[in-house]
Amino acid sequence: MSSPFDQITIDGESNFEESDISLLETLDHVLNRGLVIAGEITISVADIDLIFIGLNVLVSSVEKANEVLRERQRSHLTSESGT
Amino acid sequence: MALIESGDLAAVISLVPMASYGEESLAKNLTDPSWTALRAMRHEQVVEHFAKQISVVPLRFGTIYLEAAGVEDMLGENNQRLVEIVERLRFREEWGVNVYSDRTVLMSTIISVSPRLKELSERAAKASPGESYLLQKKIDTLKSDEARVEVNRAISELEAILQAESVDARRLRVLKVESTEHGELKAKFAFLIERSRFQQFQAAAEKMATDLKVSGLSLELTGPWPAYNFAGD
Repeated sequence: MSSPFDQITIDGESNFEESDISLLETLDHVLNRGLVIAGEITISVADIDLIFIGLNVLVSSVEKANEVLRERQRSHLTSESGT
Repeated sequence: MALIESGDLAAVISLVPMASYGEESLAKNLTDPSWTALRAMRHEQVVEHFAKQISVVPLRFGTIYLEAAGVEDMLGENNQRLVEIVERLRFREEWGVNVYSDRTVLMSTIISVSPRLKELSERAAKASPGESYLLQKKIDTLKSDEARVEVNRAISELEAILQAESVDARRLRVLKVESTEHGELKAKFAFLIERSRFQQFQAAAEKMATDLKVSGLSLELTGPWPAYNFAGD
């Protein structure tokens, strides 16, 4: 999974080293935060918390989502090169 | 993807099928982590794409309008508030700082890190064997408490120092009970940083990472993010 944004991990010794952005970190931002504007259908704050906790607990599912993402990217590439 | 404009604002929208995004189906689909993760990531990529070029107000995934006119009304009704946020976030980015604690390291260094334990241990070194034994027992029972004190102290210090290097700061809830290779997640912060000031912020964070290592704490810096945590009022 590639993100246009970098994630940097600091540890005291090697200082900043780049690492893959974690899926959960991204979901944490997208689902858990951000401005809520009352749309006609908006996920309520409480629901989001539940979803997010669910996502955290189901790490294996998230791993699966990662696979889905990768597969998606692959199939996307395939379909693009096919056309 | 399309733009819906109203005055000096525009909303980036995409059409989604009611079959998956209607109120009931959305609630149901959101319980499927694979479904949600994939679409939330897509949402994020779009927000990031625009955030790189202009000042945006990041909305959360899952804000659905039944008609385009609803979006236009929303932009009109919230114009002043949204423009204020856009201006506040201009040339600024969000960076996240996560604090992890490695308890094994902290327990092995706590006697030298904690002033209270350090003092007791110096006394024990000079004391008679009997007194030394008692002091040692006292040190052992205090270690856990002092470790907690040190983690809290370090987190407060980190917050104060990085806050001074940023425009705004938020301490976030730690929802996940997460053990990683870095240890246990103890705190999460979001900082709003002036792009031109990022290097100073980074330098301060690096220094803290070095200073806190002895306490078994490691820092993770993530970003730049669209300013999700600073898009509210």
